[in-house]
Amino acid sequence: MSTLRDPFERLLDPARVIDHALERRLYSRDGSIAQGDCGLVVLPETTAEVAACVRLAGELGLAVVPRGSGTGLCGGAVPLEGAIVLSVARMGAILEIDPEVPCARVQPGVLNLDLTTAVRHLGLHYAPDPSSQQACSIGGNVATNAGGPHCLASGVTAQHVLGMEIVLADGEVLRLGGTAPDPPGYDLRGFVVGGEGTLGVVTEVTVRLTRDPAQVRTMLLDFPTVRAAGEAVGGIIGGGVIPAAMEMMDQRMTIAVEAFVHADLPVDAAAMLLVEVDGTPAEVAAHVAVVEEVGARTGARRVRVARDEAERALFWKARKSAFGAVARVAPNYYLHDCVVPRTRLIEVLERIEAIAAEFDLVIMNVFHAGDGNLHPLIAFDRRDAEQVERVHAAGTAIIEACVAVGGVLSGEHGIGLEKRDFMPLTFSAVDLDAQARARDAFDPEGRMNPAKVLPLGSRCGELVLDAGSLPPGTWL
Amino acid sequence: MAVTTVLTPSTAEELAGMLREATASGRRVDVVGGGTRSRAGRPGPPGDVEIRTGGLRRIVAHEPQDLTLTVEAGLPVTEAVALTAGAGQDWPQAEVRDGSTIGGVLATGASGRRRLRSGAVRDSVLQIVIATGDGRLVTAGGRTVKGVSGFDIPRLAVGSRGTLGVITQVTLKLWPLPEARGWFGAGGGLEERLALARAAVTGAGRPTAVILTPGRIDVELAGPPDDVVPPPGMEPSGDPPAPVGTGVVEVGVPPPRLGDLSVLLEDEGFAYEARFGVGTCLVAVDDAAGVARVRSWAVGLGGHAGVLDGPDGLREDPWGPPPPGLALMRRLRDAFDPAGILNGRLVPWA
Ligand SMILES: Cc1cc2nc3c(=O)[nH]c(=O)nc-3n(C[C@H](O)[C@H](O)[C@@H](O)COP(=O)(O)OP(=O)(O)OC[C@H]3O[C@@H](n4cnc5c(N)ncnc54)[C@H](O)[C@@H]3O)c2cc1C
Ligand SMILES: Cc1cc2nc3c(=O)[nH]c(=O)nc-3n(C[C@H](O)[C@H](O)[C@H](O)COP(=O)(O)OP(=O)(O)OC[C@H]3O[C@@H](n4cnc5c(N)ncnc54)[C@H](O)[C@@H]3O)c2cc1C
Repeated sequence: MSTLRDPFERLLDPARVIDHALERRLYSRDGSIAQGDCGLVVLPETTAEVAACVRLAGELGLAVVPRGSGTGLCGGAVPLEGAIVLSVARMGAILEIDPEVPCARVQPGVLNLDLTTAVRHLGLHYAPDPSSQQACSIGGNVATNAGGPHCLASGVTAQHVLGMEIVLADGEVLRLGGTAPDPPGYDLRGFVVGGEGTLGVVTEVTVRLTRDPAQVRTMLLDFPTVRAAGEAVGGIIGGGVIPAAMEMMDQRMTIAVEAFVHADLPVDAAAMLLVEVDGTPAEVAAHVAVVEEVGARTGARRVRVARDEAERALFWKARKSAFGAVARVAPNYYLHDCVVPRTRLIEVLERIEAIAAEFDLVIMNVFHAGDGNLHPLIAFDRRDAEQVERVHAAGTAIIEACVAVGGVLSGEHGIGLEKRDFMPLTFSAVDLDAQARARDAFDPEGRMNPAKVLPLGSRCGELVLDAGSLPPGTWL
Repeated sequence: MAVTTVLTPSTAEELAGMLREATASGRRVDVVGGGTRSRAGRPGPPGDVEIRTGGLRRIVAHEPQDLTLTVEAGLPVTEAVALTAGAGQDWPQAEVRDGSTIGGVLATGASGRRRLRSGAVRDSVLQIVIATGDGRLVTAGGRTVKGVSGFDIPRLAVGSRGTLGVITQVTLKLWPLPEARGWFGAGGGLEERLALARAAVTGAGRPTAVILTPGRIDVELAGPPDDVVPPPGMEPSGDPPAPVGTGVVEVGVPPPRLGDLSVLLEDEGFAYEARFGVGTCLVAVDDAAGVARVRSWAVGLGGHAGVLDGPDGLREDPWGPPPPGLALMRRLRDAFDPAGILNGRLVPWA
C-alpha cells in the first residue's frame, strides 16, 4: 500500500525500512505524552546511509526526525504529519577508547550507561548521568544537552563533548571539533549540542571521559519539613561546597520509591536529600564536615552515610527509579523541568504545593536541588479528560511561577514540542527571531525536526499558522 | 586618508543604535574592549568606526547565594574578579589580565590556566546579551546555573571575536574560592619534567594547572590546606612566566601530543607555555617563519595554531588551514551581521 518505502529500500536493507502501522505508532511517541504521526521509520547503520536517507527525504519533500532511544520528555523525537523517523539505534558501536586524553569516540546509538561500563576497568567514567542512563543514547544526550545528578559539579553534556560528526539537512557530512581544543572559527560543535535534532543528525560523538575520584562519600539526610531541606541546600552551597551531586525527594516520592527499591528510606520524613561529595581524602573529609554541620543546623534528623559501595548503589538506584515508581501512584505523569535560582527554591516549592491543592492534583517532587532544577511531577490518568485539563492548567501555573522568580523553562529535558509555546515567556520576539535565524543557517528549508523548539511565528514576518496541526496530547 | 570615528556608548541601546546606523550606511566597525589584543587578525586598514565598550561597565546583579554575576561587558575582568573574591567566590575559567574586559575575554574565548580543573571559559557563561551587526539586542540563555532553553547562542558568541555581534552583558556562573591555593615546581631535564607533568595530570591531586615552560614544570594545587603541599620532587614556586616575544602563537593539539610539541619547541629554543591535560600552548615567535614552523608542528600533531598577538608581518595568515563548516559559519555570520560590518579582519575565512 505504501509507496513511501520503495525509494528507501533502494538505499537500505528492506528489513531496516519500516512502515508497518503498529510500529509506526510506536515511533510516533517518546517518553512524553505527545502523540505524533510517523510516515516511515528508517534504521541506517552507517553515516553514508544516514546521509543518503536525509538527501532522499529532502528530494521527496519530507521532514526527518532523528531518534535515539525515545526516552525524551518533551516530545522532541515525536514526528508530525507523517515525517520520517530516522532512528540511530543500529549505530551502537564504541569505536575507540583513548585512555590518554581520556576520551571515547562512539556512534550515537550507544547507551549512556554502556559507555561508562565499558571504561570502568580503566578507572574512568562518562560524567553526565541522566536518570534514564540505562536506556538513553549518547546521540540523544548530545541533542538534548542532557544533565544528570552528577552534572552539578562536573557540568552538563555540552562540557563533555569534544567533537562530533553530523549529517546536515542537505546530506553534507561534517566533522566538528575534536580532541585539539579551540579550533578557529565559531564553536559549531557547542552550538549543535542541545539542538534537539533540528540542526542535523549526529552520527558520531567524541566525548571526554573523567577519571574516577580518589574517594566518594554518599549521604542521606532526612528533614521534618521541605523548608528545612531547602535551607540545607542553600547552607551547603553557601558553605563553599559544590557537592558532586545533591538531589531532593519529597515524602510522596520517597514512599513511592521505597515500595519499589526497599532501601530503608526515611518514609516518614517530609523531604530527604541525597548528597554525594568526592575528591581527595582531605577534600572529602572537609566537605562531609560541612554537610554534617549544615544538616545539624537546619534540623536534619539523621545523616546516614552509605556504608559501602553496595549501599551507595542502592541510594542511587532509589533516586534513579523515581520516575518509574510513579506508576504505582497513577498511570501517567506530566513533568516540568524548570530551573529557578537556588535562593528561590523554598518559595517555589511552597508555591507548587499550593498549586497542587488549588487544582486538586497529586504533585510529587524529585529533583536536582543543587542547581535549582525542579522536576515537579503531576500524577494523573489520561483517560479522565476533566483531570487532564486540570493537569494542563496546573502545569502552566508551575511554569509561570518559576519564570516569575527568574527561572528558565528547562534545565535538561529540552523544549521540543511540549514547552515550545512557552518560549515567549522568557524570550522576546527579537530573541526568538535570532534563534530561528541561527537554526535556519543549518537547515534553510526547515527539513530537520521542524516545528520543534521555536514557536511558530518566531521568524520576524513569518505567518503565524494555525496550531490545529498539532497532535493530540500536545500541551499548548 | 579615512579617519576612524571613535564611539563610546554608555548603554546597550545606544550601542545597538550605532550598529544599526553603521549597517545602514555600510560603514565597517571595529570593536574594542580593553584593547589589549588589538594586534590580531589579518592586517588591513582599520574600520570606519571604532566602538569602545568601556562605557558599559555596570554591575547588574551579583547574587552571591546563587553564585551568579551579571555584568556589562566593558567591565574590566580584574574588577569582576575582585568583586567575586570579596564574596569568597571565583571565576576560575577566565584568563585574567590587567586591562582586559569581560567582553574581550569572552569574545576571544580566552580560557585561563585553571582550565584543566575548571573547564573552558565558554562553559561559565549562563546568559549573554549581544547587539547584532544590524543592531538587534538579543538575549540568549538564562540566568539560572543550569538551563537548555533554546538554541545556544552564548556558545556561538564566545570565541567569535566580535564578528557576530557586540557582547553587551553576561551572566557568569561562579565557584567557591578554594580554601588554599599554591604553585609548586621543579627544574631538570625535559624527560624528567615531562614525567612529572604526566604524573600530575593523572594523579589523584586534581591540580588546577600543570604548566611546562623551558627548563621548568609548575603545578597549581587548590583545596583544603592539607592538599596544598609540594608533590614529590617539587617545591613551592610561583605563577610561571608567560612567553614573551615579538608575537604570540596559540596552539591547540590533542592533550597527549603536548609532550611531543614541547620537545620540538625546547629543542629549537622557543619560549613557550604548555598547559598539560588541556592541550593548549602559547609560543613566543619572532617572525613569520617562526609562525609557519610552529604551525607545521601543530598540524602534524593533529592540531592547529593561530597568531594571538603580533605585528602585521606575523599575521599574513593568522589562522592557517580553515576548519570544516565554513559555509555554515558564513551563513551564521549573515544571520547575525547581514551587512558584514563587524571586525572584518577577524573573520577566519575571508
Ligand atoms: C600581552 C598579552 C598577552 C596575552 N596573551 C594571551 C595568551 O597568551 N593567551 C590567551 O588566551 N590570552 C592572552 N591574552 C588575552 C587577553 O586576556 C584576552 O584576549 C582578552 O582579555 C582581551 O580583552 P580586551 O578587553 O583587552 O579585548 P580587546 O583586545 O579589546 O579585544 C579582543 C577581541 O575581542 C573583541 N571584543 C572586545 N570586546 C568585545 C565585546 N564586548 N563584544 C564583542 N567583541 C569584543 C575585539 O573586537 C577583539 O577582536 C593576552 C593579553 C595580553 C595583554
Ligand atoms: C525515567 C527517565 C528519567 C530521565 N532522567 C533524565 C535526567 O536525569 N536528565 C536528563 O537530561 N534527561 C532525563 N530524561 C530525559 C531523556 O532521557 C533525555 O532527554 C535523553 O537525553 C534522551 O535520549 P534519547 O536517546 O532517548 O533521545 P530521544 O528521545 O530519541 O530524542 C531526544 C531528542 O534528541 C534528538 N536526537 C536523538 N538522537 C539524535 C541524533 N543522533 N542526532 C540528532 N538528534 C538526535 C531527537 O530528535 C529529539 O529531539 C529522563 C527520561 C526518563 C524517561
